[in-house]
Amino acid sequence: MKFLGFIVVGLAGAILLYGTGDFPDWGDPYSPASLHISKDYIEKALDQTKVPNIVTAVLADYRGFDTMFETAVIFTAGLACFLLLRDFREKKERFYRHTPTGVILHVKAGKKILDGGKEFEYMDKDWVPSDLIIKTVCRILIPFIQIYALYVVAHGDFSPGGGFQGGVIFGSSLILLAISYNLKTLVKRISEKMLGVYAALGVLIYLGIGVICMLMGGQFLDYAKLAPLIPFDSNHIRALGMLGIEIGVGIAVTAVMAIIYINIVSEGRHDEGL
Amino acid sequence: MDLFVVFFLITGLIFSLGGAIGIIRMPDFYTRLHPAGKLDTLGILAMVMGLALYNLHHFSLESLLLSIKMFLIVFFVFLASPTATHSIVDAGMRAGLRHWTKKKRKG
Repeated sequence: MKFLGFIVVGLAGAILLYGTGDFPDWGDPYSPASLHISKDYIEKALDQTKVPNIVTAVLADYRGFDTMFETAVIFTAGLACFLLLRDFREKKERFYRHTPTGVILHVKAGKKILDGGKEFEYMDKDWVPSDLIIKTVCRILIPFIQIYALYVVAHGDFSPGGGFQGGVIFGSSLILLAISYNLKTLVKRISEKMLGVYAALGVLIYLGIGVICMLMGGQFLDYAKLAPLIPFDSNHIRALGMLGIEIGVGIAVTAVMAIIYINIVSEGRHDEGL
Repeated sequence: MDLFVVFFLITGLIFSLGGAIGIIRMPDFYTRLHPAGKLDTLGILAMVMGLALYNLHHFSLESLLLSIKMFLIVFFVFLASPTATHSIVDAGMRAGLRHWTKKKRKG
């Protein structure tokens, strides 16, 4: 089986390598892509969209449909991770700590678990006391990382950045919380259900803005048609529409990052892990 | 002014070089983390200090803001790099890696 897999991977790689031979040279000014369309984007993007960052204008406006399905791909990745890894079975062996005294109880497989009230805390098997230095520094840094992530999302149309990058930074701040404290702290703050809702909500915001444009009489994701809804600053209406979809992308990417991380480190059980 | 810039840049260079040599030459995991955590932080501090000074050549509010932003980056590294090193050492201790000693252990 392994040998067969190796053959398939090798064959696919060989085909891809063969295919790259027909590519235009890197940076070739006469390649088909840079002959017509790039010139058009560079010359007209600023006039047509009023967005100072051409890359964002291309990604979110000219090719907004493409980016929407990229968001859908990320959503699907989170969904696949959830479906493959999530394990709803209870752990057989369990450890509980009596909070006031620090005594640890070991409940073996098949034994009944009685209700001990709030004084007993479910505990990881490989629990280690979190380090004070790491906890403190991460507690200081996480808010700043999140503010920076919001900045990256909001400034997508002026400077490098956007929903994907900002979402990843925000998601990594959540992962930092889970690493520096423990997984339970993260799961307690954002429940699994909310993460799923957020991931879907992000895609829905993107799709919703497109559909609203259609309802206002334009084409799908034609931001100019949003002008009656946002009375001020009709000059930059496309930038505002892009900001809307960037926020959607950011929410989806954040939630999917957290879903993938939680499912992988806890082997789908969401209770213990890194 | 230029003299200070060059001085800071060369100081940073020396510290970073020392850190790089230390990572290669030190005998084991824990001692290698020592140059990685300490010297690189100081090297970055000195280098960015030089760059921030260079940026202030034409003094204006804008360039001053940019220099302050550079120091914010250094501040982040100052917090993050030693903490990361500390957590790596912590993980090594918990995983049971013995530290290096000059005498060879028996067995």
